[in-house]
Amino acid sequence: MAGIRLAGLTKAFGASRAVDGVSLDIPDGEFVVLVGPSGCGKTTTLNMIAGLEAPTAGDVYIGGERVTDQEPRDRQLGMVFQSLALFPHMSVFDNIAFPLRIRKTPPAEVRARVEAVAETVRVALLLGKRPATLSGGEAQRVALARTIVMRPRAFLMDEPLSSLDARLRVEMRTELKRLHAALRATFVYVTHDQAEAMTMADRIVVMQCGVIQQVGPPLAVYADPVNHFVAGFFGVPPMNFVDGALAADAGRLAFRAAGVTIVLDRPAEAVTARDAVLGVRPEHVRLRDGTGGWPATVGLLEPLGDETIVFLDYGGPTSIVAKVDPDEKIAVGDHRRFMFDRGKLLFFDGTTGERILR
Amino acid sequence: MKRRWLVAFVRHAALLAWTAVTLIPVYWMLNTSFKHSGEWVTWPPHWVPEQPTLENYAQVLTPGSTIFDLGRQTLKVLKPLWDSLFTATASALVAVALGSALAYSWARFGTGGKNYPYSVLTIRMLPPIVIAVPFLVYYVSLHLLDTYTGLILVYIATSLPYVIWMMLAFIEDVPRELESAARVMGASRFRVLSSVVLPLTVSGLVATFLFVFILNWSELLLALTLTNTQVSTIPITLNKFQSVNEGRDYGPQAAIGAIATLPVVALGFLIQKHLVKGFSFGLLRK
Repeated sequence: MAGIRLAGLTKAFGASRAVDGVSLDIPDGEFVVLVGPSGCGKTTTLNMIAGLEAPTAGDVYIGGERVTDQEPRDRQLGMVFQSLALFPHMSVFDNIAFPLRIRKTPPAEVRARVEAVAETVRVALLLGKRPATLSGGEAQRVALARTIVMRPRAFLMDEPLSSLDARLRVEMRTELKRLHAALRATFVYVTHDQAEAMTMADRIVVMQCGVIQQVGPPLAVYADPVNHFVAGFFGVPPMNFVDGALAADAGRLAFRAAGVTIVLDRPAEAVTARDAVLGVRPEHVRLRDGTGGWPATVGLLEPLGDETIVFLDYGGPTSIVAKVDPDEKIAVGDHRRFMFDRGKLLFFDGTTGERILR
Repeated sequence: MKRRWLVAFVRHAALLAWTAVTLIPVYWMLNTSFKHSGEWVTWPPHWVPEQPTLENYAQVLTPGSTIFDLGRQTLKVLKPLWDSLFTATASALVAVALGSALAYSWARFGTGGKNYPYSVLTIRMLPPIVIAVPFLVYYVSLHLLDTYTGLILVYIATSLPYVIWMMLAFIEDVPRELESAARVMGASRFRVLSSVVLPLTVSGLVATFLFVFILNWSELLLALTLTNTQVSTIPITLNKFQSVNEGRDYGPQAAIGAIATLPVVALGFLIQKHLVKGFSFGLLRK
């Protein structure tokens, strides 16, 4: 078991930089999730850790040792691929035994270790089968078994759940978390799915355009995003954004946008007047009867059972989305007033997208 | 209902007619090979030999070399059979080994540059006769004329483009992630080849080998130009019947034709499993 450290890791393909100066310290035993939209450089980062791609600049350290120039086979890492990469011409047993046989493990030990691992990930009955005959979940567990059996220094996973259907994906999420708890190994997990990142990570690393945007525990990243991109990436439905401007209003700071004006408990000097974007999560939008807040018309309802998503047309360019109690008496076309939870408002610079007024 | 029956009838009739068109020459060759000289040319034609005989086979298969005596040519096929088998097998083996290595290194490492497979293909765009004469000139000074080595070398050169292009299709069907997975698990590049790439492309290798083997087995022009008396392949032997000056030796010629076809057909049946997989390329494999 070992921690992983990335120092200024950069990968350029011609003129474009897929990964640009990524530095990250992953302590031994941590479950880190690299998350971001496709093409953000997360898989390239993982491949550089594995040694499958050579960095243009920067270094990779595993267990304190510099491995930048080592071949993948010398790094002793376990990797699960998006396609799972089970060898179609080998039985499940031979697939799991593959890394052991390469290291010339004695046959008796190979058998014992393969059977032990197969037992833990519940594929013991499949050992004689071919990968093509396995279900998605079974193939998934075989791929895990093949990685666990070699007792790697750390686990790398590249969107391993993306080929599964939604229900199985949720199950495997739990199973992976249990596995991590049992193995106490370092996990570096790549996904574009914010729900996977939120549910599994000890720490989330949000990437965009090859650059790390934010690193932190899931709830911290969710509640306290550093910029417009990170704020919008997490949460279903996503955060509401209202384009407007911050300006002084009788000595205090005020946010003004079409249909919405909010006077803040901040002195006007807190920031200079500028274009700004207000961000507020759907669960922080409240519906009200009577007075206060701003008027809106209910444009659309999405009942989910445990909550109902309400689209409010308030006169701005897009709707405001609110999460409300499923018992709330509400119908499309209703005229309601809405307001925001004061302490939960986020403001972003209209040009740079950086968070302001933290 | 009646209409559908009619459509089926017409379709089957057309297919049967086409099968007949393609198979009748082959049948006629086999038929003639079992006939006495008196039956070779008759009207009406004999669809089955009236007195089947093996004398044509006996004549061409007796040991010894082709002789030309008293204006009558006696053709022997054992030596040409061996020459063809040896040159076609050796050249196909080397071409497949070399060509798949080239295809792999191009597919995975871009060896030779982006246009490499296309530039290799230009060899095939020349009519063989264009290279035959320069080869003859080189071969004279290199003492490769009329030798196994000479013929095998030129066959390797002409088969390589086919091998590279066929094997490219098979190699690109092997997902890169399989190779990456093996490498992360501790496999060397060589081990990746032997444990992952080779087993997954074996059908392709077999199909490519057979394709190139048949190509070289039936090659006439280069063999005719670059060999003389020491090396003489089956197509050259068949070609020699053109110079028979006393009548036409249809019977022995048909027997040699049958013998020439046999190894290819036998090989095809032996490796049918791989051929079906191989010639369907990527279609059936996912």
